[in-house]
Amino acid sequence: MAELEINSLMKQFGAFQAVNDVNITVNNGEFVFLLGPSGCGKTTTLRMIAGLEMPSSGRIAIGGRNVTFLRPRHRNVGMVFQDYGLYRHLTVFGNIAYPLEVRRLQRAEIARKVSAVARTMQITEVLQRKPDQLSAGQLQRVAIARMLVRDADVFLMDEPMSHLDAQLRGQMRAELRHIQKSVGVTTIFVTHDQLEAMTMADRIIVMKDGEMLQFATPREIFERPATEFVATFVGEPQMNVFDVRITRIQGKIAAMTEDFVIPLDARWMQENGVENLVGQGVRLGVRPEHISVSDRAEGGHGVAAELYSFEPTGAENLYVLKCGGVTITTRSSTTETAHLAKGEGSRLYAGFDPNWIYLFEPGSGRTIAQAAASRSENEEM
Amino acid sequence: MKKLSSMPESPSAPPAQRNWWVYVVLILVCVVNFLPYLRVVMAGFMDGATSSSATPIWFFSPSLEAFDYLIFEKGIMKNFFNSVVVSLASTFFSVTIGMFCAYALARYDFPGRDDVSFWVLTNRMMPPVAVLIPIFVTFQTAGLLDTLLGLIILYTAMQLPFVVWMLTGYFRDIPRRYEESAMVDGDTWFAAFRKVTLPIMAPSITATAIFVMILSWNEFAFATFLTSNQAKTMPPAIMAYSIGADIKWNVLGAAVVLITAPLILFVLLLQRQLISGLSQGVVRK
Repeated sequence: MAELEINSLMKQFGAFQAVNDVNITVNNGEFVFLLGPSGCGKTTTLRMIAGLEMPSSGRIAIGGRNVTFLRPRHRNVGMVFQDYGLYRHLTVFGNIAYPLEVRRLQRAEIARKVSAVARTMQITEVLQRKPDQLSAGQLQRVAIARMLVRDADVFLMDEPMSHLDAQLRGQMRAELRHIQKSVGVTTIFVTHDQLEAMTMADRIIVMKDGEMLQFATPREIFERPATEFVATFVGEPQMNVFDVRITRIQGKIAAMTEDFVIPLDARWMQENGVENLVGQGVRLGVRPEHISVSDRAEGGHGVAAELYSFEPTGAENLYVLKCGGVTITTRSSTTETAHLAKGEGSRLYAGFDPNWIYLFEPGSGRTIAQAAASRSENEEM
Repeated sequence: MKKLSSMPESPSAPPAQRNWWVYVVLILVCVVNFLPYLRVVMAGFMDGATSSSATPIWFFSPSLEAFDYLIFEKGIMKNFFNSVVVSLASTFFSVTIGMFCAYALARYDFPGRDDVSFWVLTNRMMPPVAVLIPIFVTFQTAGLLDTLLGLIILYTAMQLPFVVWMLTGYFRDIPRRYEESAMVDGDTWFAAFRKVTLPIMAPSITATAIFVMILSWNEFAFATFLTSNQAKTMPPAIMAYSIGADIKWNVLGAAVVLITAPLILFVLLLQRQLISGLSQGVVRK
């Protein structure tokens, strides 16, 4: 158990910059997720922590010990691979015992540890089987057991759930989070699934093109995204983002597209200096759950829209609306929208919650104004 | 339980295909392949006169005259022993060396990797006759003519390309994850290779070794030219003892029995490993 510190970590593959200036400090016992699209450098970062890839420059320290260029066996990390990396010539018991045998533990001690971890992972019945006789869920449990059986300083997990079906994944999420917290070992988890990261993480590192975009708690990532990319990557369905122009209409400042006007909150504009943006084009973001739909143009539902597609998901209904040239997705509870038209082409009206509007810089994607209702963690404390 | 017949039949087992013509083809192939061999083996148990008669004789009283001649008069067991030593040793060395070479080609990306593997393959394409004279001269200079060591070195070199090409493919099929996982678990690279990769590769390595051993066992051209007495192996010995002014068919037959018997036993014993090794990576996804 230890804290993990990474300073200005770089990795080049030839001319390709796979990881660019990553700085992370992970506290002891923390569950941290590396989240990003494929090819963003998250797996490379993990492999550098494991020692399977050597950094081009930078520093990695585990528990204050500089391990940057140490071989994997000198780092004392445990790892679960995407395709599990179980040895198919050994039984499940042999697989889990392997790291202990390498460390030349007493046979009785090994048997004790393996059976303890097998009980935790509920794989006691399959200990004598070979990996090819196991289901995907069991394979994954064995791989996690092999990681847990060691007294490692840091656990590393490289998309361990990507081969599981959706139902099993849901179960494993809760279980893994529970195990991580009860074992209390610092864990780094790589995933491209924002839902996994949001539900399990203490903190999330969002990466893109080898760079760290944001390192924060799930709630902070969700409510106060650092960039447009983070905002759209996290959340399902993703945040609606479109081009608007900040304009002064009859003395009031509002965001305007070619087809409609979105009124903005006065206090929020003042706090974020939106007045200075008048005349400029920005990107406006609003999450689907912060757009309400109505069949009448009243009570803040000022944006006329045509229903493009209706997607019921059970508890919630998704309305994909065409507001002139802009397509937006809304999400509202089924009971609230029960009375609304559901036929394609129906005339509806959308209302944007002024408390939940984000503004992003068009080129860099940097967030100019966080939503008025969102709170940073620091303010709460 | 007489109602059984009226119960719906489970559709899980489709009716077995019974195509009589498949068996016709198979029998035909077997006859074409096996008949000449059978004839030669029969000849081995005939006496000199019977075996060299102008009309083929199918029924005869067996005699061990030819075996007696080969084993006690000519001392063919010495050649047999030479063959065993040469093929075992060259198989061991070529598979061991080739394994590491194949591993490097499969795992590491270095400049000229494709050139190396192509060059290895072209070595195999070269007809042995093309290098017979240079090798003879080299052996003469190095004092390796008619020595077992010379043959072992030569066969090892000859079989290496084959081993490298077979094993490179199999190593590529084994994900790197296995070794990486073992290394993270605390092993050195070599320990990971020995304890994880090799056991997984065992069937493929066995199959390759069997092939190499058969090739070395049967090698004729180089053995004929590079050995005379001390190190003569089975293939040239058979020719020397059975073919002189005329062909002694019964001696040839007996020699064929002696040279093929170990191979047949060997393959029968190891056919499971052979098949599983060759199909590794093909059957699995």
